[in-house]
Amino acid sequence: MNDPYQVLGVSETATDEEIKKAYRELARKYHPDNYHDNPLADLAQEKMKEINAAYEQITKARSGGSRGTSGGYGGYQSGGYSYQQYGQSASGSSVLQQVRIAIQTGNISRAEALLANYSDHNAEWNFLRGAVCYRRGWLDEAKRYYQTACQMDPSNPEYRQALEFMEKGTQAAYRPGGGQFGTDMCGGNMCLPLCCLWSLCNGGGYWFCC
Amino acid sequence: MFGYVRPPVQDLPPEETERFRRAYCGLCHTLGRRYGPAARFILNYDFTYLALLLSDGQEGRERSARCIASPLRKRGYLEPDGAMELAADESVILAYWQLRDGVADHDWLHGLKYRSLSGVLEPAYRKAAALRPGFDEAVRRQLALLGELERERCDSMDRAADAFAVLLGSAAREVDDPVRRRVLEQLLYHLGRWVYLVDAADDLKKDAASGNYNPVALRFSMADGSWTAEARREFTATLDHSIHMMATAFELWDFGIWTPILETTLYTGLFRVGKAVLDGTFRARRRGIDKKKSKNVEETA
Repeated sequence: MNDPYQVLGVSETATDEEIKKAYRELARKYHPDNYHDNPLADLAQEKMKEINAAYEQITKARSGGSRGTSGGYGGYQSGGYSYQQYGQSASGSSVLQQVRIAIQTGNISRAEALLANYSDHNAEWNFLRGAVCYRRGWLDEAKRYYQTACQMDPSNPEYRQALEFMEKGTQAAYRPGGGQFGTDMCGGNMCLPLCCLWSLCNGGGYWFCC
Repeated sequence: MFGYVRPPVQDLPPEETERFRRAYCGLCHTLGRRYGPAARFILNYDFTYLALLLSDGQEGRERSARCIASPLRKRGYLEPDGAMELAADESVILAYWQLRDGVADHDWLHGLKYRSLSGVLEPAYRKAAALRPGFDEAVRRQLALLGELERERCDSMDRAADAFAVLLGSAAREVDDPVRRRVLEQLLYHLGRWVYLVDAADDLKKDAASGNYNPVALRFSMADGSWTAEARREFTATLDHSIHMMATAFELWDFGIWTPILETTLYTGLFRVGKAVLDGTFRARRRGIDKKKSKNVEETA
């Protein structure tokens, strides 16, 4: 296993407080919430496990193995959070159930094919179509399918949660050192000062911008 | 389509800006060595970012030399390595097809510039395409698809952006490590999506006047190329989500010495550019840059 201090990016002489801080920052970065429905969520989950194990190992070693480990940060433990699971099909359709399984196992082409052959475009169909779009990176279409699903079945919490995430999910996204995430969050006038880096050999590629 | 990804100099410490410059100069030298001096005119920040993303994250060997841009003082640059060469080859292919696109989009007279430049780049392109046939094929396929979508005036901005995003994502196809390839493909996909959408937003007014295809105008049913508050909110949400996808991919691979530059670009620089484009200040400033630059050159001369 890797050196736990290296995993957390701290030196072996770091204080407990510094280690806790480094751990929290990393846990915030790789937290399942930050990788909600992300096609790379499995890689983030591995990272999270590695960080948890490293933190546990350090706290254990420092307390001489006597104290309970990272119990205080249970909220960041990977066990405490589960990646979004596509549970039972709401409409009880076996095809849509298969679509859920296909999405969950990352077989997006199969999910897409199953949806294309399913003629009843009910709320759940729209929701799953949105989930497929999301994984493909078609974020605008994903939002619109979620919207339709919510209009057809306004009381369904699963659909509502998905739509809310599209509307303001990234506002809470991880950004190093905190600070708000978003295009309209960056400060006023100074946003793009005239940058004249060096006397460039050419227009920095502006030739092609028509 | 180029020019939107750039180092946020005001947010970077000078040593990081200098590091970026060494990579920029390194790519320029790589282009010169592989394709002759004429190919160096395609150099831009976007291609430099491609080189950073493809690099192994180690500080490469540094050399210094004089060049056209710095004829008196020797300047340090990064000695070309495998990743830099890959980036150079892919840059030539991208630049060439971008120029051919310009030829197709303009009438004989206005296409003159594109035709002559693509003619200059033709030998370099042939060599690059022979070296990276897979990437060349992907670029041609995706640009043909994009052309088709433009002709049918596709009103799905995701579908149109996807054609370009897949194109950029295929720049990572030669990466061996499967995890690294997944990370880069995702990052480049959303970078491509973001660039395509920002470019369309930047062209709103121009396309509204000329009647050219603009997927963003069609998506938000804009008649005159101006934003309603609601449409702007929706559009920035989708841009931000793509940046979030890039950032989450970026955090899953160690980019070594390029981490500070890439991190600042993803978490700060892209937001700034997007905001300037939406506020309509990006084009004005870009013209300002050109003016200011020529003035600076006079001053230093």
